[in-house]
Amino acid sequence: MNNGSMLRFYGWFTFLGLLVGGLVVLGYYKDEYREWKDYQRKFVQEEIQRAATPQQKAIAESTPVEVRQILLPELNRVDRCTTCHLAVEDPSYGGYEQPLAYHPQHEQHPFEKFGCTICHRGQGRATTTADAHGAVAHWDQPMLPLQYIQASCGQCHEAADNPAAPELAQGQQLFETSGCRGCHKLGGAGGNLGPELDKVGTRRSPEWLKKHFLAPAAVTAGSAMPPQKFSETNLEAIVLFMLSQTGQTAPGYYASMKVIPSADEGQRLFQQKGCIGCHTVAGQGGKVGPVLDDVGLRRSPEWMLQHFRDPQSVTPGSVMPKFGFTETEARALTEFLLHLRERNLASTFPSLMSPVERGREIYRKYGCAGCHGAEAKGSVPNPNAKTAEQVPGLIRVAEGYTKAELKSRIVKGQREIPALDPKRPPPPLYMPAWGAVIKDAEVDDLVAYLISLKPKGEDLGF
Amino acid sequence: MMNAPFLTRLWQKFTRSRVGRSIFRVGLPQSNLERSQAMTSSFLLHIQPAKVHKHSLKAGYSLGLGLISLYLFIILIGTGVLLMFYYVPSTASAYNTMKDLQFVVSAGLLVRNMHRWAAHLMVLFVLLHLCRVFYTGAYKRPREFNWVIGVGLFLLTLGLSFTGYLLPWDQLAFWAITVGTNIAGYAPVIGAKVKYVLLGGNIVGQEALTRFYALHVIVLPTLALLMVGVHLWRVRKDGGLSRPDEAGEVVEQIPPGQLPVNKSYGLMELARGTSPQVGKNPEDEVFSWPHLVFREILLFLLVTAVVLFLAIFWNAPLEEFANPIHPPNPAKAPWYFLGLQELVSYSAFWGGVVIPGLLVTALLLLPYLDRKRAGVGRWFARERVVANSIFTLCLLAAIVFTVIGTLFRGPNWDWVEPWRQPPAITEGH
Amino acid sequence: MNPSAPQGQNNVSRRGFLQLTFGWLAGIFAIALSAAGAVRFLVPNVLFEASQVFKAGKPDDFPDGSVTFLEEERVFLVRQGNTYRCLSAICTHLGCTVNRAEKGYHCPCHGSIFDDQGSVKSGPAPHALAWFQVTLSKDSRLLVDKNRKVAADKYLVLPTKA
Repeated sequence: MNNGSMLRFYGWFTFLGLLVGGLVVLGYYKDEYREWKDYQRKFVQEEIQRAATPQQKAIAESTPVEVRQILLPELNRVDRCTTCHLAVEDPSYGGYEQPLAYHPQHEQHPFEKFGCTICHRGQGRATTTADAHGAVAHWDQPMLPLQYIQASCGQCHEAADNPAAPELAQGQQLFETSGCRGCHKLGGAGGNLGPELDKVGTRRSPEWLKKHFLAPAAVTAGSAMPPQKFSETNLEAIVLFMLSQTGQTAPGYYASMKVIPSADEGQRLFQQKGCIGCHTVAGQGGKVGPVLDDVGLRRSPEWMLQHFRDPQSVTPGSVMPKFGFTETEARALTEFLLHLRERNLASTFPSLMSPVERGREIYRKYGCAGCHGAEAKGSVPNPNAKTAEQVPGLIRVAEGYTKAELKSRIVKGQREIPALDPKRPPPPLYMPAWGAVIKDAEVDDLVAYLISLKPKGEDLGF
Repeated sequence: MMNAPFLTRLWQKFTRSRVGRSIFRVGLPQSNLERSQAMTSSFLLHIQPAKVHKHSLKAGYSLGLGLISLYLFIILIGTGVLLMFYYVPSTASAYNTMKDLQFVVSAGLLVRNMHRWAAHLMVLFVLLHLCRVFYTGAYKRPREFNWVIGVGLFLLTLGLSFTGYLLPWDQLAFWAITVGTNIAGYAPVIGAKVKYVLLGGNIVGQEALTRFYALHVIVLPTLALLMVGVHLWRVRKDGGLSRPDEAGEVVEQIPPGQLPVNKSYGLMELARGTSPQVGKNPEDEVFSWPHLVFREILLFLLVTAVVLFLAIFWNAPLEEFANPIHPPNPAKAPWYFLGLQELVSYSAFWGGVVIPGLLVTALLLLPYLDRKRAGVGRWFARERVVANSIFTLCLLAAIVFTVIGTLFRGPNWDWVEPWRQPPAITEGH
Repeated sequence: MNPSAPQGQNNVSRRGFLQLTFGWLAGIFAIALSAAGAVRFLVPNVLFEASQVFKAGKPDDFPDGSVTFLEEERVFLVRQGNTYRCLSAICTHLGCTVNRAEKGYHCPCHGSIFDDQGSVKSGPAPHALAWFQVTLSKDSRLLVDKNRKVAADKYLVLPTKA
């Protein structure tokens, strides 16, 4: 062995040793430098500047630079947004540039219990701007643009009840009246010509949804869905409603919070819990408990609330069971009872409605408007259908069909729709057999409604 | 000693001190005796011989492929143990712990990246090592059983990579393992049962994750370590690395119970059978310390540098959370199984069972079928042109099928040309 | 060749000496930094436990002169006029949760009795109950920091409302 070969060894050894050393340093440096540390240092500087007393200054200076997170075990989430958004709770930061801006309107949904991503979406566990805001590959929940934030309210709260989400309520209303249920299932009810919409909010972006409503076949090849004619505001509203369908459940604590105490919610609860079994309202109901029509005049809201919490505590000897209402449920029921006189109870008590009124409800409920048009006026396109390439309107069905024929058509449906031109593809929209879904009594009411559509006194031309 | 480097002198002072002598029985070797003892007295090093043949040190011969594989394994164990402090093998938590490693654990991303790239490199280098041993005929007598152990190690490496692949519980992991276990299920008679035991059921779910985790962190590594030990032991006992003219060497058989008169290094250099002998071909042998050991250290530094480099600049993939009702199209197995998946697309039985089965059997039986002793110790020896050609053909076929499966198969396993842009996929799933 | 004669490796040139030293230093540095990195890796940066810093509620949620037990956080929130203090409810003996008595606090496990200041009056408890720092958060809630113990006479004073 000679010096030469050992020297070569030493040369390589040095080079590789330095290379590995250098790479370890590089790796360490890349790891230590984090975006959020810059934001935190800026925030600490800001706090030190604003400190009015030496005590406040000391507190500001001793602020640790570390990852902050909100643990939400019931929601299986961890939100680290406050690592950069450090002033969300501090009103004095209103109007600051992000990420140090104040977050208004958080009183009802404290950050410790709700975090951020349940409403704003994005990737809560991330600590870099791009990854946290979620518009990155392999994360399918990017942040919701602020204009669509009402969609998140709809995950827990009934859209119609929520005064803070009027556009969402409008969207839900549109959904019901446009007859979307005729082809799409939502919440287990609806047709199956189109896909179920229960989680559409997690799968589709706002831009896609808009394009889809205006020209379905352009975004989904082969779609039979007719283009929807929505005004700009209506389009935004129904897109909002679609975005709110995320399949997110409200577990435990959140379920107890989600009821917004409104009279509508109270009416829904009243129907659900079967109060009519013992109490009479508008002449309908049981005789075990007192009549409730004027209860708002006889009892104070505080009395009613306590009565819902524990009936025996205000009415000793009462046989009304303790239902275990949450506070918000009790408040909702109280609201309902207080304003009982002013409310339209028809939808709560179907027996109060006429067959035609019930039929109108059924027409809406099963989404007939989706194909036959709002108020059965037609003009929904069905390419290559013999009926003027449209799904026929139903205004004049009374003239062509007897009640029995109408009923049969509804129950059995019509699978084969005569084509205008046999060389073109067959018409995509057909009449499903609704007998499996619509109950017999409901079909009778529906037929009554359809027959009533004939314009009265109209000159039929002959 | 005055010219010796400062650090060397410092170290020597320490190892000659009272504390030092209690730990290090032999300090930095100064004499040939001490150089031999550096190997034989050391716990970590004594699996290596005191002297090696010069030919074994040639980088161009072995390319250090076996050592590289071992180093990658060591890096994997180190990074793997670190990862175990954060990873949770539960379908509800696994993905979240991967995100935590990426975002809130110091050096978490670096350690995970090192683990992933070392894993892919290890599969590659174990395969390359297998090819080198084949092409140099180093599986022939007396090294037949070591070859068999090597094939076993190759399969263990694939198993380790496969079981680890599932652990992130993302779309990539879930569907790769779904495809892989389905292929395993095609084996006749035992296939369905093996798949059932592997998955702990019929689906890829929590039970599969638990079992794959147990296999990945303790069962397969322990088996692999034991087999690596035997593998290195056999290298030593079979006469070191193969070399040309090995067959022509004079091997003096020491009669049992006797020692030769001219021994000078104790028992450390003598053995019955095929080992370097003292006094025979002395110019061709050099002491392991420092020649072998220094090269080993350099190679380790090189491997570490490469793994670090890859880990710093390229991130290991993490796709969306595993979604059993939403398969990607196409769903692909890990890259080392893509050739297999391509074969399966032609015929599940012939492609997924027969051909791989025959190949593995052929590999295992190879040294017992090829009994010609010519051509050992040289790359692409002329005498072995038939064997080399057959092997190369099979290797090329495997590579071609793997490349097809990787680049030329798109949705529905249809043929695609990777240089053409795929049609714009309408968003959503 | 005399086997015990020193071989050439210890007689190196100045260049070799420098190279070897740097090489070793770089290698040792890399190993040390890696080891330090591995240890730092193992130190958690975030915890998945209930936070030691929490909001007890709005100051007005606590009536004047009240001692309110917060079950999850195991503390008592004491309000006197406009001063707010927070006392640990964990007995310093063996960790049971103490109960509020007419005056002071009693531990049901081994009978330790503490006075209103948290000092031990009788029983096996070795020292007084801990007082925690109370400050006002940015959104005007009482912020308790169980990481910071304060003296019994340190409390949060809020300005009297008009």
